[in-house]
Amino acid sequence: MEITALDLIPSTLALEADAFRALLARPGFGLRGALLIVFLAGVSTAFGQSVVLFANHVSPRRFVASLLVQALLFVLTFLVWAATVWALATLLLERPAAFAAAAAAIGLAYAPQLFSFLVLTPYLGNGIGWVLSLWTLLATLQATVVTFDLTRLESVLVALAGWLVAQVLQRTIGRPVARVGRWLRHQVAGKELRPFEPPGLGPR
Amino acid sequence: MNLFDPGTVLLVALLALLLSGAFAPLEALGWWAGWYGDRVDEEPAPVEGEPVIVEPARSGNVTRYVVFLSGIDSVSDEPVPERQVRFLARLRDAVPDAVVLQVFPYSVTNRALTGERTFARFWRWALRQKLGTRRIEQIAGMLINLRNTWQVLVSADRRYGPFYDRGTAALMVRQLRRAGYQDGSGLPVTLIGYSGGGQIAVGATPFVREALDAPVTVLSLGGVLAADPGLLAAHHIVHVIGSGDRVHKMGAVMFPGRWPIFPYSPWNLARKHGKLRTLVLGPCNHTGDDGYLDDQKHVTDGRSYFDVTVDVLAALVRDPKGPAPVAAASA
Repeated sequence: MEITALDLIPSTLALEADAFRALLARPGFGLRGALLIVFLAGVSTAFGQSVVLFANHVSPRRFVASLLVQALLFVLTFLVWAATVWALATLLLERPAAFAAAAAAIGLAYAPQLFSFLVLTPYLGNGIGWVLSLWTLLATLQATVVTFDLTRLESVLVALAGWLVAQVLQRTIGRPVARVGRWLRHQVAGKELRPFEPPGLGPR
Repeated sequence: MNLFDPGTVLLVALLALLLSGAFAPLEALGWWAGWYGDRVDEEPAPVEGEPVIVEPARSGNVTRYVVFLSGIDSVSDEPVPERQVRFLARLRDAVPDAVVLQVFPYSVTNRALTGERTFARFWRWALRQKLGTRRIEQIAGMLINLRNTWQVLVSADRRYGPFYDRGTAALMVRQLRRAGYQDGSGLPVTLIGYSGGGQIAVGATPFVREALDAPVTVLSLGGVLAADPGLLAAHHIVHVIGSGDRVHKMGAVMFPGRWPIFPYSPWNLARKHGKLRTLVLGPCNHTGDDGYLDDQKHVTDGRSYFDVTVDVLAALVRDPKGPAPVAAASA
């Protein structure tokens, strides 16, 4: 039976380098499966952060639509991140690799985010979110080590530089893009999404 | 992968635990979003046979109202444990000028677990198991406790607390008004929260106070309390515990706001301002034999644990800042 990106999720969660090697050995680097993982991780993340939708009385149908739109925005953000890492490794460290390979490997590394809906867990949720982010970072480092044939130190440097670039992007061209994303989310939800402030019970 | 190897079983159990936690807030959130059809801002119509216990005042002159919120082992607000039934009756006798009510605090829609719910059959089964004694049956009963524990954590979580607490407060306010409470009358309202009910009482306090324009006192009986902002809205809080009770300590460990290193947390501020005090009533344990409602065990002055609990809570209902007849240090 043919191995797909989805089959590699358990070994990715175990941070095994072989998971990424197996993925990259596939025709087309298994990019489609990897993107599916990113999309599902986006749905899970959106569900984990859906309190604001409930708070604003969003109807079930618009709720589902909102999760899907947020998942698409999540995939776009992922592509920017993968492009940043790919550009840094290729240009700075001169380790050429196909962009599709980088996107596939880093996409597979998003597997821990499939559990992001657990952020809903009362009281423990934020801690779980932290653990999942760290887990994803470690998997991403492993992905870059395999894809670009980097040492561990080099992979950390690329990730750090990528983080810096992301910060700059967010504060410059990211602003109008984020505004469009916010506008889109409000359109799908059917209303402006405000943080929750409980009204009082009022007199009888 | 062998399905029965201990590692797999443990992993599946952990996942199930986390899943039950992740879905725990959805009832309160869906209710708030209006997904169940009932509008949040309207007072819901009374439901036929709605489970609520109202103990009318013994004397004609009502001067106070008491709402009892049961511990996390309750399935509906019919007080299933017989001890709890007698406790409410005795409390009413001890404070004859009070109306005593009970609300099931683990569902914002006040649906008993065994009532109109998709999983009613499951919870009824779990309850029957809980009333049994065999070990495997006790595990089934623990599922009820687990479900209700998550609801306590929902109340304590700052993301959900405001929804949940407003929901439970709306239930209390509705029952209080039905029992005759006049808004603005200034008659004191005492919320007695047993175990997890303690946190839920504290969370609901600001909303109850505002809606009824009433002074609200919280009596936590072995309550598992977070450092909830509701503490600062209460007229007074007494955290009543037994020296043998370990369950209430979970709150002190689990919730960082309870730790002394955060002097400006609601818990520590309430203590500093003299709003909150802890009272050891005797050697009682949290529940069951040796528990607060055990009438077989006695303290040195001859009263049963049950009597001590009733005496102390009745005294605190009358005057939360006054002395309470706790058990003398036992031999």
